[in-house]
Amino acid sequence: MDILMTGIYVLFFPGFFTVVILGLLSSWIERKVTARIQYRKGPPLLQPFYDVVKLLGKETILPKQGNKFVFIIAPLIGFVSISIVAVILMLRPLLATSFVGDLIVVVYLLTLPSLALIIGGAASGNPLASQGASREIKLILAYELPFLIVIALIVYKAGFKIDLQSLSATSGLGSVSGIMAFIIVLLCVQAKLGFTPFDIAEAETEIMSGPYIEYSGPLLSVFKITQSLMLFTLPIFMITLFWGGIQFYGWELLWFIIKYVVILVLIIVIKNTNPRIRIDQALKFFWGFCTITAVTAFVLAVIGNIYGIAWL
Amino acid sequence: MKVDVLLLLLNIFLPFGIALLLFLIPKKVKWVAEFLTLITTIFCLGAALRFFLLGIQVKFTLLLFSMGNFEFALDIGTNSLSLFMLLFTAGFAFLTALYSPKYMAGKEKRKEYYIFLLIALGGASGVFVSNHLLLLLIFWEIVSIALYFLITTGGPESKTGATKTMAMIGAADGCLLLGIGILWYLSQLLYIDAINIVINNWLGAICVILLLIGALTKAGAIPFHTWIPKASEKAPAPVMAFLPASLDKLLGIYLFFLIVTQLFKLPSGFTLTFMIVGVITIVAGVMMAIKQREFPKILAYNTVSQVGYMLLGMGAGGILGIAGCMFHMLNHAIYETCLFFCAGAVEKKTGTNELEKMGGLAKVMPITFICCLIAALSISGVPPFNGFVSKWMIYQATIANQNPYMLIFLIIAMFGSALTLAVIIKLIYSVFLGKAGAASKKIKKDVGISMQIPMLVLAVLCILFGVWYQLPLSQFIMPAMQETQAAFQPLGSWDSLLAVILIGGGLLIGLFIYLLGRMVKKARTVPSFIGGETIETESARVVGTDFYNSIESMKPLKGIYNIQNKGALDPYNWFGKIGLLCSNILKKIHNGILPFYVFWTLLGMGVLILLFIIL
Repeated sequence: MDILMTGIYVLFFPGFFTVVILGLLSSWIERKVTARIQYRKGPPLLQPFYDVVKLLGKETILPKQGNKFVFIIAPLIGFVSISIVAVILMLRPLLATSFVGDLIVVVYLLTLPSLALIIGGAASGNPLASQGASREIKLILAYELPFLIVIALIVYKAGFKIDLQSLSATSGLGSVSGIMAFIIVLLCVQAKLGFTPFDIAEAETEIMSGPYIEYSGPLLSVFKITQSLMLFTLPIFMITLFWGGIQFYGWELLWFIIKYVVILVLIIVIKNTNPRIRIDQALKFFWGFCTITAVTAFVLAVIGNIYGIAWL
Repeated sequence: MKVDVLLLLLNIFLPFGIALLLFLIPKKVKWVAEFLTLITTIFCLGAALRFFLLGIQVKFTLLLFSMGNFEFALDIGTNSLSLFMLLFTAGFAFLTALYSPKYMAGKEKRKEYYIFLLIALGGASGVFVSNHLLLLLIFWEIVSIALYFLITTGGPESKTGATKTMAMIGAADGCLLLGIGILWYLSQLLYIDAINIVINNWLGAICVILLLIGALTKAGAIPFHTWIPKASEKAPAPVMAFLPASLDKLLGIYLFFLIVTQLFKLPSGFTLTFMIVGVITIVAGVMMAIKQREFPKILAYNTVSQVGYMLLGMGAGGILGIAGCMFHMLNHAIYETCLFFCAGAVEKKTGTNELEKMGGLAKVMPITFICCLIAALSISGVPPFNGFVSKWMIYQATIANQNPYMLIFLIIAMFGSALTLAVIIKLIYSVFLGKAGAASKKIKKDVGISMQIPMLVLAVLCILFGVWYQLPLSQFIMPAMQETQAAFQPLGSWDSLLAVILIGGGLLIGLFIYLLGRMVKKARTVPSFIGGETIETESARVVGTDFYNSIESMKPLKGIYNIQNKGALDPYNWFGKIGLLCSNILKKIHNGILPFYVFWTLLGMGVLILLFIIL
């Protein structure tokens, strides 16, 4: 009975199907807000679903020079890993206990979608895709450093705990270091999602979508679903770590939805008001400004803890 | 009881005997060396398995020499730690013996290779069961000498690598001897299970440092790591797989474990030093690996980087930390051996080690590609493989210390993992994916089955130890630390079995959706699209070695790489320069002029007479 209930949770609510639908909805929000910023009308509500269904119906085209097996498997691996992260994050408040893994597991699993993109691009047999793959791994190296510093900061604030239950119970935003850390995580999430100013790997105008160039049909639809899942999961991850965690009941649920929409709108606004930067500029930005800010936040948090200053 | 002792002695001395026999057999007789080596390794594996499964504890002492307080005895004994080490040593030796015939076929120094392989096996088995420090040192030295000769079997160009290896490991073994001497002075005892010294003066500290230099040079921590990449240039791949990748780590970390947990009570300054050296090793090793252009060299620097994790785990302490260190040692041996075997397979087929000339090998060498991919994902610490589990344990050990400054080590270690991932992607892309290079165009099929089986076995072990990680923990690691499985209390949770079920389920759903689409229409294959141009030209090939040029040319890193290229960060070069300085001074004194020598002799005699009169 327990296994059946867990299975239903994992598969339907709030697991797999719910997350996919919510992910596609958030991708609609992103397109609508972008359109409004650009004085356009924007697509109807069900547009992302239409896109996915359309892509699923197209024929599969495989590159001649690439490695067919890896080409097919790569998007599936990315899709599966982000689904598992989404399920871990969503099921935790429902089951009131850690599900599958803790913070370290989630951080490692979150690198898998980007890794899948890189491997898929590498197996495409296309020099533009390889160029995109190389840029993506450099971007990962760039934002991992401040991201990890911020993760360590949160672990410290939670009292050296790494299970998601305790982490969501600590209030991250109630202090200066927490706010600084939140901003850094927002920038890292922007890079993880591959949104401007950090969409270096899939630059449409420079390298023709980079790793995505050879993908079409059902495989591209898997990638699109993965992208929308990431758009849904990463703000949820930020809320879990910093802003009080996911809530399912009563007024808390409304407050949680508002928080989520705020973060989503922040991401979209940053996306629409910035140009794309080069990869070496991105490396300098993350390893320079972001790392220094993250380290400062860490130092402030340690000082605040040692001297008992709560707002630091 | 007697049978067990005999079996244990045979485990050590049979390889020596067979090696001696191989010395006498002429080279012209084919397949004898391979066959005898295989038989010996199977015997050692069987004996080790029997010991391990039956949990037999053996003790055997034979006093050979005693003078006053000093005793030298052939004192061997087994405990859980040595049983588990013996098992894996024999296992790796067996896999190497299986892999070697195809690889070494046609090479010049075949016979010497098998002779010294057996000697290394016997020596390592001796190290793990000896209870007397001098006996341990003798067997340790036997392994070092075997390593030197094994590297030279790679051909005439391997002499520089072998010499550097011998110089560094020899110097480290000298430190080990000196350390043992000071140990005897401090405790008057040389039996491992009887020694337990508290370090509270500088002499004890020097003793520990000397012993640590001995252990960590073998394992390959900064700054004593430079012999591994140099050796990997020309040594045969199975030599690199057997010794620096697996056996040396087992030996080095075994001694390290003894030093930290059994022989001494170390003050806290030492554990902090371990952690600092550990993170420096992690980052320096992988930053060096990023710019390499040859397959074995990348793997060699990755090996160095992973030793940093072991140091970090041991320094972090606690059951989580030490168990994490030992588990990482085991996991590292497994996946690094697999990677070196893949490197050997690729080298055998393409005839080169340079990454620029390879590419697109995944189509013609599928088994090698899959094993390499699995081992590569394990070394990057991707769940659910075994590398992730040991790294997870080490991270938790850092956090469990409840010290904010230790979180710095956590950050650097996790970042090192991301860097390792970057190096691995460069490797996989350059060798297996991407467009075929000059050397890979002529390959038609994969390496033979006898080379594939060891790779497959190790890849399966990577998956097994990752998904069912409770198994090696409860069977190997925890008993080796004299703890029960219940003592393993992780901070977080990692339900690997559930994760694998979910991953499997997700992949099945995805494949199902994909195949649904395929049933309607068959997939079409088209040439790649780059904006309407043709890409048949060689210039359109993106070479993996250029991936990280942006990082290598960043301002502060560029300077460090330049310094490192000139060899200024290598202690081998420092000691070489000091040695040259000394010998230059001596050269000036020995100038061949007779009155000069007569003058010095008379001066010496005068000083002696003076001393004689005074004293």
